[in-house]
Parts: sequence; C-alpha cells; structure tokens
Amino acid sequence: MSFRMIIDNINYIGAMILFVIGLYTVLTHANLIKKIIGINIMETAIFLFFVSIGYVRGGVAPILGASGTETLFVNPLPAAMILTGIVVAVSITAFSLSIVIKIYDAYGTVDLDEIMKIRSVEADE
Amino acid sequence: MNSLNFPVYILMLLLAFAVIIPLQRKPFGKKFQIAMVSVLGGALFMALLELIKVLTDAPYSYTFGSYEAGIGIEFLVDEFSALMTFVVLLLATLVIIYSIKDLEHEIEPHRMYSYYTLVFLALFAMIGMIFTNDIFNLYVFMEVLSLTSVAIIAIKKKKDTLMASMKYMMMGAIGSVTILMGFALIYMVTGHLNMTLIFQEISQVWELYPRNILLAMGFILTGFGIKAAIFPLHNWLPDAHSSAPTPSSALLSGLVVKAYVFSIAKMMYRVVGKDISVNIGITGYIIVFAVMSMIMGSVFALTQRDMKRRLAYSSVAQIGYIFLGLALATELGFSAALFHVISHAFMKSALFLSAGSIIYLTGKRDVKGLDGIGYEMPITMTVFSIGVLGMIGIPGTSGFMSKWFLGLAVLDAGHPELLLVILLSSFLNALYYLPIVISAFLRERPETPLEMQRDRIPMTMKVSMVLVAAGSLVIGLFPHLVMDIIEQAVPTFINLGMGL
Repeated sequence: MSFRMIIDNINYIGAMILFVIGLYTVLTHANLIKKIIGINIMETAIFLFFVSIGYVRGGVAPILGASGTETLFVNPLPAAMILTGIVVAVSITAFSLSIVIKIYDAYGTVDLDEIMKIRSVEADE
Repeated sequence: MNSLNFPVYILMLLLAFAVIIPLQRKPFGKKFQIAMVSVLGGALFMALLELIKVLTDAPYSYTFGSYEAGIGIEFLVDEFSALMTFVVLLLATLVIIYSIKDLEHEIEPHRMYSYYTLVFLALFAMIGMIFTNDIFNLYVFMEVLSLTSVAIIAIKKKKDTLMASMKYMMMGAIGSVTILMGFALIYMVTGHLNMTLIFQEISQVWELYPRNILLAMGFILTGFGIKAAIFPLHNWLPDAHSSAPTPSSALLSGLVVKAYVFSIAKMMYRVVGKDISVNIGITGYIIVFAVMSMIMGSVFALTQRDMKRRLAYSSVAQIGYIFLGLALATELGFSAALFHVISHAFMKSALFLSAGSIIYLTGKRDVKGLDGIGYEMPITMTVFSIGVLGMIGIPGTSGFMSKWFLGLAVLDAGHPELLLVILLSSFLNALYYLPIVISAFLRERPETPLEMQRDRIPMTMKVSMVLVAAGSLVIGLFPHLVMDIIEQAVPTFINLGMGL
C-alpha cells in the first residue's frame, strides 16, 4: 500500500477509524452518556462513509440547469439518504437520553458500575 | 375493489390509527377498545384477501408513485410475505385483545394510549420490513421498529425495565449502525438500493469484489444477529423480554424477532443470492452460531428460576433452529426455517400469554412456586402445556412438525451430525419445561385443597390465549396449510447466482 493510496482513500480510512473509536467508546465506558456519544460517533462515521461513496472529484451539486457548462455531478442519492440517517440518529439519541434521565431519577447515577452495585445490594435484601 | 393495493392500505391504516390514538381525550374505555380491535380486524381481513390473491394469481411487485424499480421504492408481495403479514396481524390482534385487561396491572392508566400508539407503530414497521424490496427502506422501517420495541418495554414503571431497555437500546443501536455500514458497502459495489437490481449487479461483479461483499455481509449479519439475538449476541434479550409487560413480551418474542430473521433471509437469498452466500462461506459460520444458540440457550434456560426469563432464554435456542434452517442453503432447509418462524410465533405467544396470566392472578414468577396451579387455573395451564409440548416437539403440535421438517432438511443437506444437536436441544427443552407442567398438575400444595376451579382471569384473556394455543395445534395437525404456501414461495425466493 503506497502513501498515495492512503491519501486517495483518506475519507474511507477516516470513516473506519471513527467507527472503531465509536465502538470502543460504547463498549468500554461505564458512563451511559459516554456510551450514547459513542453511538453518535459510529453514526457519524457511516455518514462520512456514505457521502464519500457519492463524491465525484471535481463534480458540482446536481441542480438541473443551475450549473451552466459543468457536466460532472456529485451523486445526490447518498446525501439524501444521509439526511434520513441523521433524522434517525437524532431520534435514537433523544430516546436514549430520555431513558438515561429516568435511570438517573431511579438510581441517582449514570455510571453503570455504580448502578450494578446498587442493584446487587437490592437483590441481596 | 382492487386488492393490488392492500399492502399499502394495511400500512396506511395502522399508521393512521397510530397517529389518531394520541388525540383521544376521553379516558381509556370500551369505545376505544372496540375501535382498536376493529381496525386490526380490518387490517387482518385485507391481509387475508391479499394472501388469497397472491396464492391464486402470482407474486407481484408494487411500485410507489409509478416510479420504476431503480428510482422509486418497491414492495415485493410474494406468498410468504403475504402469509407472514397475516400471521403477524392475527397474533397481534389476539395479543392486543389479551392486553386490554392485563395491562391495567402493569402500566399506569394514563399511559394506555401511548402504549397502543407504540404497538401500532411497531406493527406498521414490522409489516413494512416484511414487504419492502429496498434496503434503505428496510433500514428506516427497522429503526422505527427498534425504537418502538424499546419503548414498549420502557413504558412499564419499574427499575429493572429501565436498565433492560437501556441495554436493548444500546445493543440495538450498535446493530442498526452496523447494518447501515453493510448497506453502504453494498451500495458502494452495486450502486443500487433495490434488492432485485442489487442481486443482478452482484452476480456479475462479485468475483471482482469478493472481500467487499464478504465484509458487507459480515456487517449485516452481525447487526441482524444482534437484533435477532443469536447466541453470543443475545445478552440483551433475556432482560428485555422478561421485564417487559406480558403483551410486549409476547409481541417481541413471537413477532419482532421474526421480522429481523426474515430480513436476514432476504439479505442472504434475495440480495446476495444463494450461490454467492455459500461461495464466500458465510453459511458455514452461521451453522456454528446456530448450533451454539440451540445448545447454550437451553443450558442458560435450565438455570433460570424466573418463569419469563426461562421463556426468554428458550427463544434464543429456538432462534437457533431458524438460523440452522436458513444456513443449510437448501430449499428444504429454507422452508423448514420459514415454517418454524410461524410455528414458534404461535407457541411462544401461547407460553408468554399463559405465563402472564399466572403472574396476573398469583403474582408468582418463580417456577418453584407453581405446585398445584393446574387445579387453580386449568385453562391457563392447558395452554401452557400445549406450548411446552410444542417446544419439546411432541407429535400433534406445530413444534413437532418444524423439528420434523428441519430433521429432514438436515439429512438432505448431508449433515447427519446436526440431527444429534437437534435431539440434544429437544431433550434440554424437555428438561427445563416439563418440570413446570409436572409440578402444576401433579404436585399438591398444602394450603389449598385440590379442587378443579375456573380460572379467575378476565374472559378476554382466556379467549385470546386459547385461540393462540388452538392456532398452534391447527398448524401441528394440518401442517400443509402453511407448508404448501411456503413451498410455493421458496423457489422464487432463493435467487440462484447467475453465471456461476
């Protein structure tokens, strides 16, 4: 793999690195808010990946009749899909955060380790 | 009336009703319940007409707004998706009739409307997932389904439910993100979102990009594996399904998981195609995970004392059977898997509903405390026993027929050793289910006299429970009602790779 190839595919590599960072955050952090942030990083990675697929070097926005002499267009479909993806991501985040608020009300903490301690004490009683 | 449009009418009816429910101002009562059941009845009737039309004519694809397949969204209405829609709506109707009384014990009165909004949205998403022939559309429906299915767990006001739903939410979100990554990779290779067009494209170019397709299928199967709870990825399921309100458990275990399984079947056989799936070697891996699910799910179930947790772990084992059938990559295996999708939906709903009735009346969740309950609640325990016999695979129940078909398929595919796994799993099923039935009917409890009583549970709960169990028996005694439809659907469903 040459240096040139890495530079050419930097957006794909970046997306994959972001994906792994997000997954790592979700799996290793005990704090529930950080887990949700991890999910968001994973989602961002996919948005980057999707938009990169549709990108054409030197292409312009595909608006009919507005581009003048340009003939090279960026694929609009991935961008449109990502718009839907963002809406879905926002609703996932909002819903998870609302559950976290309920958990904070019930246990007084958002740290998974402490919640487990509280639950094991409750189970013993 | 043209039944061509019925899939869309069913979806619109469910969605419109879900939107109308929150506008209700009167307290939850009779009028609303009748309206709700009649909406479901209408949808069920349309699903039946749809099924008859597809069986007499031919499968067809429905394009939205008359845009052709490559541009617009397409629904593929074939025999199995029509049958699956019918089963989903039938079971959902029965579960909702059951839920009207049961939920009074489990959630606060002012949340009843929200609960049914969520259930209708979940049904809408499930049926959308079953019909759709477009992978991004599948993703959107899947997200609606995963959000609503978390919400129908979290709606119960208890501390345990919160942690269970949080776990389900996190695992589900990782699953959906992974699936979307897989879809991105597939879109990258093929440039299409329509399943039929993807298949045509992939069968031409797959030799150029074998790694890309393997990676994409890896992402997709892992994601759907999390959502369908196959063994190493199952750890959210027991918490979620056991702490949910009973009607939600029945819906989640019986139907929601099946929608994901059916999506895997679509991805493996309709999108990538059977030959390529076998060629890049994913079926071999799935067999390993399916076998692990079948054994480990049952072993975990043995150690549970909470009745609903035991049922939930048993779902993991049963999902293993379905995956085993799918991964055999033969027509027989595939039809056995689809048959089990339907037969397990009936059996597991019967089990969860009867377990819910026991909890409703006695408040007991511990399997050790059920001595003599068969005399107190004979109808409930009969329903439970029918479910149990089905799970073990006693002739006459639908579970026997699915094991029979699966056994034949395993032998046909040349894996006789898997037959031993099926047998072992059945013995384990007997080991953890039968003691409940035995202690319910054959042991006595010192404080109560052994007299046959009528079940002291509301009529609606009894009727719906008995109908679900009767459905399981009907499929067991007349398996060809279902199998004929599946056998019609399977040859068109499995795309053989072209040019191999």
